[in-house]
Amino acid sequence: MRSFAVLLLLSPLLPTSATAEENGVRAFTPCRACHSLDPAERTLPGPNLSGLIGRAVGGAAEFDYSPVLRKARDEGLRWDTKRLETFLADPAAMFPGLWMSMRGIEDAAERQALVRYLTDPSAR
Amino acid sequence: MNRRQFLGTAAFGILAAPALSRRAAAQEGPFRVKYYPVTAGMGSRDTTPAPDGTIWFCGQRNGTLGRLDPRDGSYKLTDLGKGAAPHGVIIGPDGAPWVTEGGQNAIARVDPGDHKVTLFRLPEKEAYANLNTAVFDKNGIYWFTGQSGIYGRLDPKSGDMTVFKSPRGRGTYGMTITPKGDIWYASLAGNHIAKIDTATGNATVVEPPTPNQGARRVWSDSKGRIWVSEWNSGNVSVHDPADGSWKAWKLPGSNPRTYAVYVDDKDKVWVTDFGANAIVRFDPVTEKFNAFPSDKSGANVRQLDGRPGETWGGESGNDRLVMIQTVSPA
Repeated sequence: MRSFAVLLLLSPLLPTSATAEENGVRAFTPCRACHSLDPAERTLPGPNLSGLIGRAVGGAAEFDYSPVLRKARDEGLRWDTKRLETFLADPAAMFPGLWMSMRGIEDAAERQALVRYLTDPSAR
Repeated sequence: MNRRQFLGTAAFGILAAPALSRRAAAQEGPFRVKYYPVTAGMGSRDTTPAPDGTIWFCGQRNGTLGRLDPRDGSYKLTDLGKGAAPHGVIIGPDGAPWVTEGGQNAIARVDPGDHKVTLFRLPEKEAYANLNTAVFDKNGIYWFTGQSGIYGRLDPKSGDMTVFKSPRGRGTYGMTITPKGDIWYASLAGNHIAKIDTATGNATVVEPPTPNQGARRVWSDSKGRIWVSEWNSGNVSVHDPADGSWKAWKLPGSNPRTYAVYVDDKDKVWVTDFGANAIVRFDPVTEKFNAFPSDKSGANVRQLDGRPGETWGGESGNDRLVMIQTVSPA
């Protein structure tokens, strides 16, 4: 009986949670052509994105970054969720001359889903 | 085009002495370099010349297809739709520009007369294909790549579309057609090139000799040899399908990054080098390079195309087009 009550309490949350996860997976799909969240996968055209938050911008040791990202690293910039979300809204606006080429994500919910997916392993 | 736009698009040209010769090259050129500013923040990237002398170009950041008149530098933008992010553009047998429109996961045709946009959407199960580059085959079928790891065919007459999985997954990028009609693509993440059997749709992988080279784009010369821009290695390489041979050359400079490749009507090879911020001409006969560095940093020319006497690219980082005139106009 108690477990039924718990289920009743949780049930409104379940679809929301599943949707957020699906949104994150979906938002990351185009990124997969160049990036991986598997720490062992480090030979793709883009830098590995595991452990991104807290890392220096342009900070994957094995990766050859655009000059603008090397400059950001030298200036001490680090990734946090706010910077990441602003970046995803228009990457080339934050770092003009970026070698990565993509249109920014205009939809705030989609952007936030991607940020959560990238930064929170439990969201994957 | 209004007056403000016209005043804002005045092109200018400079005579460029090629730089960065790898060897003591006999001086080629001079070549006239012209820049054509377009809308700030549009991310002007892939270009293609149209039969009427205009140049179509993709605005990946603002979802538009542009049409430049090089005679006066004026241009017109066509909105491709909500969320559009066009990557590549080619001219079809119908004279219209056809666009790999990644934002809407569709192939877009823009009518050259009234600029009406027609979309051919990919099947729902192929959402987020990350559409990239395309060519028309000799039967008028449109072949395209998607970086998620697909390639496909579209019959423009019927609208029938078939999507194939690339044999080694993600990375399917540049595409070319040989004079005989063979179609090849490059796989950036997959580090190979592949030939498509247009009858069956099957692709056969061909491995370049340089490991993890990052084959990004391909372009056929007049003899059907496949030139490859190798992003990771900084090489330009060539594969001759007739005998299976390969040759590769490292671009000049300390950290070359070969992005685009195009072969002109004289079989001279043009590449872009992000490491040197330059367009680079390679003469396969003399094996010499001539580099044309941009006069602005972060040019990021992601694709080249051209017509006799002119090589064209889009400086995606500077929101302008660049043309290198390779012969003096008559």
